[in-house]
Amino acid sequence: MRTVYIIGVGMTMFGRFPESNVIELGRTAALNALRDACINKKDIQVAYAGHARTGQLYNRECGVGQSILWELGISGIPISSVGNFCSSGSTALREAWMAVGTGMYDVALAIGVEKLTGRTGKGRPLTSDGVELLTLMGFSPPIYFGNVATRHMADYGTTPEHLAMVAVKNRKNAGPNPRCQYKDPITIEEVLNSPVIVEPLTLLNCCPTTDGSAAAILCSKEVVNKYTRKPVEIAASALRSGPYEKCKDITTFGSDRLAALDAYETAGIGPEDLDFAEVHDCFTIAEIIHYEDFGFCKKGGGGRFIEEGISDMGGKLPVSPSGGLMSRGHPIGATGLAQVAEAVWQLRGVAENQVKGAKVAFTHCAGGFQDTIELGDVQSSAVTILKRGW
Amino acid sequence: MTRDNSVSRVDTIGDFIDPKLRPFIKLPESPSEKPHLIGSKCSSCGEYFFPRRAICPNCLKDEMPEDVLLGNKGKLYTYCIVKAAPLGFNAPYAIGYVDLPEGLRIFSPLAECDKEKLKINMDLELIVDKIREDEAGQAVYGYKFKPVSL
Ligand SMILES: [Zn+2]
Repeated sequence: MRTVYIIGVGMTMFGRFPESNVIELGRTAALNALRDACINKKDIQVAYAGHARTGQLYNRECGVGQSILWELGISGIPISSVGNFCSSGSTALREAWMAVGTGMYDVALAIGVEKLTGRTGKGRPLTSDGVELLTLMGFSPPIYFGNVATRHMADYGTTPEHLAMVAVKNRKNAGPNPRCQYKDPITIEEVLNSPVIVEPLTLLNCCPTTDGSAAAILCSKEVVNKYTRKPVEIAASALRSGPYEKCKDITTFGSDRLAALDAYETAGIGPEDLDFAEVHDCFTIAEIIHYEDFGFCKKGGGGRFIEEGISDMGGKLPVSPSGGLMSRGHPIGATGLAQVAEAVWQLRGVAENQVKGAKVAFTHCAGGFQDTIELGDVQSSAVTILKRGW
Repeated sequence: MTRDNSVSRVDTIGDFIDPKLRPFIKLPESPSEKPHLIGSKCSSCGEYFFPRRAICPNCLKDEMPEDVLLGNKGKLYTYCIVKAAPLGFNAPYAIGYVDLPEGLRIFSPLAECDKEKLKINMDLELIVDKIREDEAGQAVYGYKFKPVSL
């Protein structure tokens, strides 16, 4: 693999946009990325579009990337859809990274898009994708993470206050970030007293329903000087599926551990070298477990990690300085690329909630369930390590 | 004509079980029997699966894993109490993962949703009970686990 750089990123605002459709959202993010990279659209040689619910919600399983790029006059090049649960956007980025890294192409575009406000069942949790058996028995993602939280609390003494601290931190981080759906500060008491969704998770322990899109433009070392003097290097892009393990421990995610190990090894760094991380805080308990699975702390230490302020802006390893999924929202296919866009701005030193002098970033997106009644692992996990390329 | 309530009740429950869950549940044939889950066991490596599998993922042997009745007792591995229910389900209800003696950890609704009465590792037994309602408001049955003490 040759070295691959990100030369431009773009995002829409994240929020509820009933008037916009998937194509309009995607078009805005892609155009922002093209402008950010100062690149001619004719230079884009290949594109990947991540989306996970456009088939179910809008009868558009395929062709989302083609439709978006058609509007921007990008056509005739290879374009394909990437569906991989919550990791769809990160997987699109990884496909683009491989396309350039292997030497097949010099310039690639990755885009992620989702519009979740079009779903029916307002006020009810989003169901998981394609888990028929589990769904007919009453399964939903908050139920899975509620089960995770109960066991983590029993095994490691994690408390509802620890969970609430994650929500409070991420909302505080969102304050200056205009792209977040929710920016107003919240308190631990407000999180604890918000309506119970799935005990022990209250509403403010869950990420909201959101529309949005984000995109990135990647290029090879050979051509990078044509576009920018401040490229961001993709030091690693790892993707794993959930490993099969009987009676697995529900308080750790195997796909996440495997992806992080892969990424650390490829990048030749460890968790101690990271300046910040953007992790998949779909539920507060998930962020606490990510601290453990990614080696930010030891197993079971996630509650104390947040309590001691290590993941705060002033802490040793700020986590989700952008506001995370909890504040930005989680338009499934867009999230992975939104994290990457936020990380690129941090590394360039222009983020609204800037981590001072950030040089190395870790982003992580994961999700999806197997259609089995047996306890399975989270079915996709993508970890990207980015560093300043100048 | 006198109606045998116990037997006709058993027949009725069978009719109301979700058609997709029906192949996994062995109903009692007399009032003295208990319901069981139907899983499969690999004839080569001896591993159990629920729901049944067509191919053992360990061995990939040609012979199909055989159907077996699984133990109808288990231990509670973890749980949560649902307050915001998916369509068709009535909150609150508890749902969790149950460890079966065959070395399986499976997703199951629970028949008890009082937090004070649910404890990790508690003994549970299998029952067949209403789990949700269909679009017409008809009760749909499936399997559940309830605390043994109840
Ligand atoms: Zn076998």
